[in-house]
Amino acid sequence: MMIAEMVKDREGAEKRCLEAYEKAKQLQEKYNDVITFVDPTEQLKNLPEEGLMRGVPIALKDNVSTKGILTTAGSRILSNYVPVFDAKIVTKLKEAGAVVIAKASMDELAMGGTNKTCFTGASLNPWDTSRMTGGSSGGSAALVASGVVPMAIGSDTGDSVRKPASFCGIVGVKPTYGRISRYGIIPYSSSLDHVGYFTRSIKDACVALKVLAGRDDRDMTSSFREVPDYSALLNSDLHGRKIAVFGNVRDGLTNANTAKLFDDLMESLKAKGAEITVFRFDEALMKAMLPTYYLIANCEATSNHSNLDGIRFGVREPGDSMEEIMTNSRTKGFGPLIRKRFVIGSYGLFEENQERLFRKAQKVRRLIVQQLNECLKDADCLIAPASNDIAPLLNDDSRDQLSDEYLVVENHMVIGNFSGYPSMTVPMGFENGCPLGINLTCRAFDEETMFDIGRAIEEITGYENLTAEVK
Amino acid sequence: MEEKKDRAYFRKLANQLIFDLSDEEADDIIREFETLNSQLALLDAVDTDGVEIMVYPFEDDTDFLRKDEVTNVITQEEALANVKDKIEGHFVLPRVVK
Repeated sequence: MMIAEMVKDREGAEKRCLEAYEKAKQLQEKYNDVITFVDPTEQLKNLPEEGLMRGVPIALKDNVSTKGILTTAGSRILSNYVPVFDAKIVTKLKEAGAVVIAKASMDELAMGGTNKTCFTGASLNPWDTSRMTGGSSGGSAALVASGVVPMAIGSDTGDSVRKPASFCGIVGVKPTYGRISRYGIIPYSSSLDHVGYFTRSIKDACVALKVLAGRDDRDMTSSFREVPDYSALLNSDLHGRKIAVFGNVRDGLTNANTAKLFDDLMESLKAKGAEITVFRFDEALMKAMLPTYYLIANCEATSNHSNLDGIRFGVREPGDSMEEIMTNSRTKGFGPLIRKRFVIGSYGLFEENQERLFRKAQKVRRLIVQQLNECLKDADCLIAPASNDIAPLLNDDSRDQLSDEYLVVENHMVIGNFSGYPSMTVPMGFENGCPLGINLTCRAFDEETMFDIGRAIEEITGYENLTAEVK
Repeated sequence: MEEKKDRAYFRKLANQLIFDLSDEEADDIIREFETLNSQLALLDAVDTDGVEIMVYPFEDDTDFLRKDEVTNVITQEEALANVKDKIEGHFVLPRVVK
């Protein structure tokens, strides 16, 4: 059922939310998607009279602060942390009548792409439980893909919404930087972090963004721009639309099935009236994309998480001095991947390394975005497969390791975080019964065009409201 | 001369960040650091002469000095709700002055 239909079915609200809550609990043993279940009973008593998401069950990634409800960010160090305030988006969702039923599993502090680093263990892909959901918003993606909720919140610093959306066969939206307030979201890398979300259709994605977007004085990076009525504006007519294929990514595909799905889809878009061109970025910039991301993200993360010391909040380990308490708390509180990234991030911030590493990366970031601007001067949208392959097997340990291979196909979506431009993944096709998605990036604050093209793709593929068969 | 990037080096760095590393974890960082260095060659290959750093996606001002009005107040009890040990509104920590 679509969100708009749920809202119309006013009488069904209570039953629907309680069923979603029960279904999430029932599937937990199988998928391990949830860190904390949230009983909807009290929220149901306080539903607003009207609202774009009235009586719609939803899930939140566990880095979204919820007053009085455990918020761990997938990390042991925060495994006892109960915020005393709600994130702005929680307030907005509740005002719109949405009902939170779960806080979803995620990679520790959102710093991973597998959802295997959560302190409660990996979440499993509902299409094939021997595979990853992808991360870092894997639990949220799995809850939407398995039909528990029609919408779940994620966050996206590199591709943490858009990659799991691809692996789980759903829509994953990362709107423009500043479009959704980040107040109350436990940060990772402030210049790259975005609030994003998952749905099973573009129509639902339009409703959700209308609810979530808007200026918030408590997030100084949030935008003053008006929030359009995305649902009313949705128009899948592609005549006059220009779509640029991300040439470097298309060239880099090694999976023939993915290449065929993608090429066929481009032909179908052309048949629907779109003009398809190919844009190739400077190869040297594409090769520098991963180290640029890695440095900026890790340097910013190191600084953001210096407040996690077990003193003011979080799990405190014993020690004879304040320093020993902090050392023990941080050593036991963070997993090995996080500590590794903090060490590398701190190295990049050393006075003697800052110019050569961190600032160099910030300059390359500007050059990459300049090229994207060149592309989007003529094209309405940059398009590419979200990944070379379907979700990796759980025992594939290569994903969170830095690789010296040239992997533009797996890392290109960071361009949406460098630029802050809206970017979204929608289902494109299947291989061995598992889905994979296509990614679109549009001009700043032009979510409208992104949804229009996404809707056209949905009409071509027929993958609207796709749900993994829960066996 | 540049310091050798061995276990001791990375452990020292970790200790500055106020946590510790096992030998295995330090070895993993040594490996990742080698990969990072080869990746940095790709970064160095880009000519950034005369290019300004890009700190945030957009450079238009979205912040302002708000009026000096009290908003979003939390109580002392709420502020200390997540503290493990507290007495009369204070954090309890080990004695520092003997």
